[in-house]
Amino acid sequence: MNPPDADVLTHEALLARVRPRPDAADKLRAQVRYPTDRYASAKGESALHGAILGSPHPHARILAIDTSAAVALPGVHAVVTAPDIPGRTHYGLRVIDRPILCADKVRCIGDPIAAVAADTLAIARAACALIRVEYALLPVVEDPELALAADAETLHEGGNLLHSVRHGWGELEAAMQAATHVVEDEYETARQMHGYLETEGGIVEPDGAGGLIVHFACQHPARDAEVIADMLRLPAGMVRVIGTPIGGSYGGKDELTIQPVAALLAWKSGRAVRLQLSRPESVDLGVKRHPFRIRMKSGCDAQGRLLFHMASLVADTGAYATHGPEILDAAQEHAVGPYAWPALAVEGRLAYTNNGIAGAFRGFGAVQTQFALERQISRLAEACGIDGLAFRRMNLVAPDASGPMGQVVAPFDGPRRVLDVLAEHPLWQQRRPRDEGRYRHGVGLALVHRSDGFGRGGPNAARIAIGLAPDGAIEIRCGFTEMGQNLIDTVRVLGARLLGCAESDLRAVLGDSARAPDSGSTAASRATAILWRGLGRHGAEWRKRLCALAAPPLGRMPDQLQAGEGGIRGADGALLLSYALLAASLGDALPELLISLEAEETPSDIAAAHYVFGACAALAEVRVDTWSGRAELTRMVIAAALGPVISPQGFLGQMEGGAMMGAGLALTEHLPTAGGRYLARNLDGYLMPTLMDAPRFEIIAVQGLPEGDEIGPRGAGEIGVNIAAPAVAEAIAAALAMPVRRLPVLPEHILDHLDMPEGAA
Amino acid sequence: MMRIEFELNGEPRVLETPAERRLLAILREDFGLTGAKPGCEVGRCGACMVWLDDLPTNACLVMAWQLDGRSVTTVEAIAADPRSESVRAALAECGGLQCGYCTPGLVVTMTHLADCSPRPDAACARAQLAGNLCRCTGYGGIQRAVERLFPTADAGD
Repeated sequence: MNPPDADVLTHEALLARVRPRPDAADKLRAQVRYPTDRYASAKGESALHGAILGSPHPHARILAIDTSAAVALPGVHAVVTAPDIPGRTHYGLRVIDRPILCADKVRCIGDPIAAVAADTLAIARAACALIRVEYALLPVVEDPELALAADAETLHEGGNLLHSVRHGWGELEAAMQAATHVVEDEYETARQMHGYLETEGGIVEPDGAGGLIVHFACQHPARDAEVIADMLRLPAGMVRVIGTPIGGSYGGKDELTIQPVAALLAWKSGRAVRLQLSRPESVDLGVKRHPFRIRMKSGCDAQGRLLFHMASLVADTGAYATHGPEILDAAQEHAVGPYAWPALAVEGRLAYTNNGIAGAFRGFGAVQTQFALERQISRLAEACGIDGLAFRRMNLVAPDASGPMGQVVAPFDGPRRVLDVLAEHPLWQQRRPRDEGRYRHGVGLALVHRSDGFGRGGPNAARIAIGLAPDGAIEIRCGFTEMGQNLIDTVRVLGARLLGCAESDLRAVLGDSARAPDSGSTAASRATAILWRGLGRHGAEWRKRLCALAAPPLGRMPDQLQAGEGGIRGADGALLLSYALLAASLGDALPELLISLEAEETPSDIAAAHYVFGACAALAEVRVDTWSGRAELTRMVIAAALGPVISPQGFLGQMEGGAMMGAGLALTEHLPTAGGRYLARNLDGYLMPTLMDAPRFEIIAVQGLPEGDEIGPRGAGEIGVNIAAPAVAEAIAAALAMPVRRLPVLPEHILDHLDMPEGAA
Repeated sequence: MMRIEFELNGEPRVLETPAERRLLAILREDFGLTGAKPGCEVGRCGACMVWLDDLPTNACLVMAWQLDGRSVTTVEAIAADPRSESVRAALAECGGLQCGYCTPGLVVTMTHLADCSPRPDAACARAQLAGNLCRCTGYGGIQRAVERLFPTADAGD
């Protein structure tokens, strides 16, 4: 394939630019220490082992807790329950509803009630077993729709409706009357598990000066520090959180889980405490992807022009709010797609239940509605007899039109450009469902656009810093954490390009609340874009400052100097003073440039609406075994329009990794509950894709930005998930002419469909 | 408690430990060898892979009593072994690692496969590597590394 567009990087071109990650050698030699690899304090003292007593009931009132036998057990150094918390007892984001330790009520299996620090893990667990808790069981709220009924048992004061949304425009009734083709259906998406291989854990130790040092994987160290400080009534600066490197997160470690409990144990025992959840504990207590029930009704005219779209969403948020409200907001916004609807009505509700806790997960509410929306679009296209690609292209919003909430958005023509690329692709041009006896093949197409950053009113501002270290390294200091996305490489590429130095002059200082300013959360696909904007807007100022500092020792005027590779250079480019010598000449007066970026938000006064969108289209090819009902993803082509690719390795990894996760959501991954209990508690009962399940990937980067764009690269962290789940669903639908209504598409669903008499869908 | 004599990374070791204690815990807690990672502790994810008598084995499934007289080689030793060089280079250059938590286990399995005589073909290597889960890469980079390291018998699809 030879793309006509100069900004298009083929898979081969991308691969040719891939280089080893800066941390590859250490990771390959097992020289990287993750938070859970620490068994001793910084001074080398063995850490105590922590264990948590979690609730065995999904919903119950706590009548009494007796810890006396645990306290008396030899080897036990601290036992904590809610009354041991000196300060804030609850945490949360938009809604503060999650107890650090439950005092009066438990709302899900594993909800922490007490914790122990002891000499060994065996003693800590034995002590937990000695804690007597008296419960009065409460009815278990399992179904999100029933949870919203007036007579339902309530989890929290104020009822089970955590959040609701509604928006729309146009003349819906008239549009429905005018429609030639109408598609109406109900869709379901399952609860997906993040499956990070490193379970939640780490070590907390007293710092010797009245504060704490917390080594725990997280996505926003400053926020973790604040929650723990508030809990202990400490000034925020006395809790230092080092949240990197991370053995996988995908959103699952964005909000705190057990850090406060570990901190409380360290605080009470005065010792370093190591706490790590076992995989079954992590399954119980970790957050999951929100399961959604989605009702959609959409219509178009005889020529295939979209006329109206209605969507009604109900999601199960589990026991605590965490990111639930923002996820429903995103689900609502992305239920519209990059399509032009003259009339629109979207509404959604989010219900508390006793089914664990749902929270942030790559794809963030959007992937659920995008699956349903893409099914609707494909079915309308089919009804009109127009191919899915042409139908989508015909119905795109204009690049400078308003966004899915009617808000002003940064102009972007990504959706059209990715469709243009795939239209020429051989897999699309030769797509015919093939029937080879036992196996059937099909190719599906999907298109998504997806937002960057948090919605309007969210924590979109960020601070990063550029500093000169005593050894002469130019440090880029930010609170973002490295969880595999190749942030260190991004810092090097952008730093060299925008600060004029060499990559070897740079050092990334990440994820440490004491060494870097608060950059906000490493979430919402925002880190690369923020570095791009921050360094781009302030790089010249930094270089000027270095020249001013170098001028006196060099005996020259600052404007005769330039900050370049290796150090300060003269107008002719000759190296005059290395950064190391410059740093040495400055002693303690080393420069730091603190950069504060204002929130980049839509000017429209619409709560939670986004300003920046990227786009992706994909072709998925499946082979369905009609004997076993198993669908195998054999090939996936993804065209991603996200502006300039900063780190080819990071970009490719995010696309392929995200896509495999989306394919897992579409094919195998689901975590059902019964009676408020997860029916799988480890990776033997919950099936994540293996190497044998991986397709042949072809990733195409559609670079370039509209003229005058000041936003820069769109985030790549999530959109791979967003595009893959609908694309795989479309492929199965194409292979079998199957009305795919729920994810994952399990073998029994496929066999049921194949057993159905012709035309009885 | 039982007394166990075994070889760890080429060194003879003696251990007094409960018979049912897991090798994974012994490596991490008693010897400070944290390259083997706990992921699932039911032998499903492969993050704790070591060589037990030169065969890739999940350290979470080996109990102390099974160790007596055996030899254990961990990723710390394997990564320092020249036989792993081509594996590490392929994974680094093909983008076969991201967060890196599954990486030690992959190096342990892949180095074993690369050292087999004859070398398995790509299809066989893929099947063997199904025991090493990776949640970050989508296996794109790992697959490219496998193709580079292992000859493909059937060149077609």
